[in-house]
Amino acid sequence: MALALILRNAPKIQAGAFQQNLIKSSSILMVRDLAPAHKQHSTLSKPSHSLIAPQKFSQVRLMSADHSKLWPMEKALSVSMIALVPAAIAMPNIVFDNLLAVASVIHFHWGLEAVVVDYARPIVVGNILPKLALGLLYLISATTLGGLIYFNINDIGIGKTIRKFWAIKE
Amino acid sequence: MSAIFRLANRQTALKFKTNFGLLSLVRPVTLKPQPAPKEEDLGHDARNMKLGRPQSPHLTIYAPQMTSMLSISHRATGMILTFYTIVLGTGAIILPDSIETYLNALEEYHVGGVVLSVGKFILAFPLTYHYWNGIRHLAWDIGLFLSLKEVYMTGFAMLGLAYGSAAVLSVI
Repeated sequence: MALALILRNAPKIQAGAFQQNLIKSSSILMVRDLAPAHKQHSTLSKPSHSLIAPQKFSQVRLMSADHSKLWPMEKALSVSMIALVPAAIAMPNIVFDNLLAVASVIHFHWGLEAVVVDYARPIVVGNILPKLALGLLYLISATTLGGLIYFNINDIGIGKTIRKFWAIKE
Repeated sequence: MSAIFRLANRQTALKFKTNFGLLSLVRPVTLKPQPAPKEEDLGHDARNMKLGRPQSPHLTIYAPQMTSMLSISHRATGMILTFYTIVLGTGAIILPDSIETYLNALEEYHVGGVVLSVGKFILAFPLTYHYWNGIRHLAWDIGLFLSLKEVYMTGFAMLGLAYGSAAVLSVI
């Protein structure tokens, strides 16, 4: 029975993108086919499962945009902030201030985007709220970035602000 | 003539039926191969909801562990730092005066050294926590400290650094 299933699915297996996986699983089935009769009934129920499973995993879940290129950028930004944050506080100047403004806004934007995707799932809250939340996030991020750069140019800047607040002793 | 034969046949058939009851049940069957019924593909979340499975981790019954707590507080501290950034950025647009005016006003209040130190600790801790734990996360990303023992060890080290550096920052 299982062998028949395999033979029937053979063309599909050849055509499938996950050839290796499927062939592996079908070879497991052939081994199972030789198992004693009392174990046969599990082979009857399992073939369809193990033949379908790899196809399921092959589906791309579109939670957000293609993340394979974004991820290294996120990590590079995070690594740069390990140096940037102390530097901007230790030696306040307009360059560090603006770099910190851009870096932290992008960093928190990606972070909150992940929060929205994780907690405001369409299946739970409907299709509209996640879109609204993401739109609001873009608005907040853009406003904050504009405000911080304005602050760095027209006011004392982020680094000096932190130092000045920390200088207050009583 | 043929009618007789036909009737005779029926007679013998009936006889066989009574004599070999089981044999009469045997009849040719053609098995037609049929693909397994295709499972409706709902996607991960919908399928688990349909099955009535709680979301993993099932927070109301799952014991809080250091690993998960440090993970969720990394996100929480990140959100607190985001709040600081948004307040400073939007404040710069909305507020009429320079930030120095407000800092000077705060200095004029003389809120007291203890209150200031506590305030500085509360302000600094999310930064120190997110900073050191961020480094811990980046170390994981390049494949370091991934055994459970190391995860706990770096967790304690990170907590020590985070509280320690926040404490130092609160008194300087």
